[in-house]
Amino acid sequence: MWWLRKYIALGKAGWALIMEYRAQVVIWMTSSLLMVIMLLVWLSISSEGAVNGYSSADFITYFMVGWIVRNLTAVWASWELDFNIREGRLSPMLLRPIHPIHNDIAVHWVEKLLRLGIVVPIAAIVLLLTPEVHLDFSPLNILTFLVSLIGAWLIVFLSDYLVGILAFWTSQVGAFINGFFGIRLVLSGAIAPVAMFPPAVQEVLRWSPFPYMLNFSVDVAMGRLTPEALLTGLIVQWGWALFFICAAWAFWKIAVRSYSAVGA
Amino acid sequence: MRYIRLLGLFLKANLLVELEYRANFAAQSALGVLWAGLTFVSVAVFFTQTDALGGWTYEQALIIVALFTIISGAVRFILEPNVIKIVEMVRTGAMDFVLTKPANSQFLATLRYAQYAGLADIAAGGAIMGFALHRMQYLPTLPAAIQFALMLISALAIVYSIWLVMAALSFWFVKIESLSELFYALFDTARFPVTTYPGLVRLLLTFVLPVAFMTTFPAQAVLGLLDGTTLAASLGLAALLVLFSAWLWQRAVLGYSSASS
Repeated sequence: MWWLRKYIALGKAGWALIMEYRAQVVIWMTSSLLMVIMLLVWLSISSEGAVNGYSSADFITYFMVGWIVRNLTAVWASWELDFNIREGRLSPMLLRPIHPIHNDIAVHWVEKLLRLGIVVPIAAIVLLLTPEVHLDFSPLNILTFLVSLIGAWLIVFLSDYLVGILAFWTSQVGAFINGFFGIRLVLSGAIAPVAMFPPAVQEVLRWSPFPYMLNFSVDVAMGRLTPEALLTGLIVQWGWALFFICAAWAFWKIAVRSYSAVGA
Repeated sequence: MRYIRLLGLFLKANLLVELEYRANFAAQSALGVLWAGLTFVSVAVFFTQTDALGGWTYEQALIIVALFTIISGAVRFILEPNVIKIVEMVRTGAMDFVLTKPANSQFLATLRYAQYAGLADIAAGGAIMGFALHRMQYLPTLPAAIQFALMLISALAIVYSIWLVMAALSFWFVKIESLSELFYALFDTARFPVTTYPGLVRLLLTFVLPVAFMTTFPAQAVLGLLDGTTLAASLGLAALLVLFSAWLWQRAVLGYSSASS
């Protein structure tokens, strides 16, 4: 269990760091206000009847659960990676006996504790006050939801990290990170359930990693999927997770080999 | 006259800097166009399910998207780069050099820098506007065009004032990055007609946070649907906010005692 001890140590240091920036974390969370805006706009349509199988209660459930998933998958490791590479701060990190990504993972996870403490109570109150909320709380479904959540987190974190690795080659990574963030926002289902997109777009997205960053987990929680769709979804999701694990690992290897630090 | 010449010099100096970092300019411009496209999609997706959003048709709503993109571009072009600098200068004490120069400090501090990539957003917004007008086969009449020009100027003045207030606040609170995050989060509501929102939010976005004056009302002007009261209210509000923010800036500068020592 050597890694658990290391993660606990990194997590403790990360917690101190996050507590230092706690006001900042709350401010960063305002960026997910967009989901509330989108929810309000969807509700303005669904008040006249269900939209594509989504009633008003379904929209509220979708965006509240989606809001939790989005906060749990919030990432900024690429920004740090870009900064550390450009400023030459990566070199001491490379000398440590542990890969720098582990520190990022630990800090991201302790930060999620803070976010959960804020987001879950708000979402729970909204959902309790909404009549006819459909959420599947069977033990098996909760387990599936957690598995899909880990898959979603892996895809979001590692795809973002992969974009950050570009900083080894270009100084314009900020634009890539920001652009990728925007694409992820739209295609993952954060502004609209993917079911609202035209059928042809949905069919393409089904095989892309994007819906598995958010939409899929929400569908699982709401029990909207048939057993077959659920199984296919999990396979595609974890296929992408594995792909990004391998890609991030491979690109890191290639990048570090040719890396010559700035400064020193 | 002197100020117009100075402004020209600033723009020229910034352009020279921009030409030095062409890759950055290209990347940031592409980013602006990408975000314009994403904003477009985030509004268009509703019209795959409905014909009207808060009483606005697809084409009419696109005018709002266009204005949202143009104003975002203006913020990125002038306001954001300057306000970031102001915050930095207050923190490091370099503000002294701005205040000792023989010109109006507000002018020097808020118009000195420019990020030309913001023009890409403005161009993308113009393209969306053209697309919407073309689809409607509609050309604003001369009175509508004049009304629109007035509404756009007051919208830009309102946004400028809000950023100036944020800059002035940095003299007292130093860290205001959070305020600009908050601005963007709230400004996001401007991509939809204000009539889309439920009653209370709509009132809030019209009378407390002047979001409706930034996109919804100017878009009504383009479409020739604006009434005189709204036009007068918009011009009045803009004038009021410009005066208030200038006053706050003066107060902030007078209370400034530089960093360190």
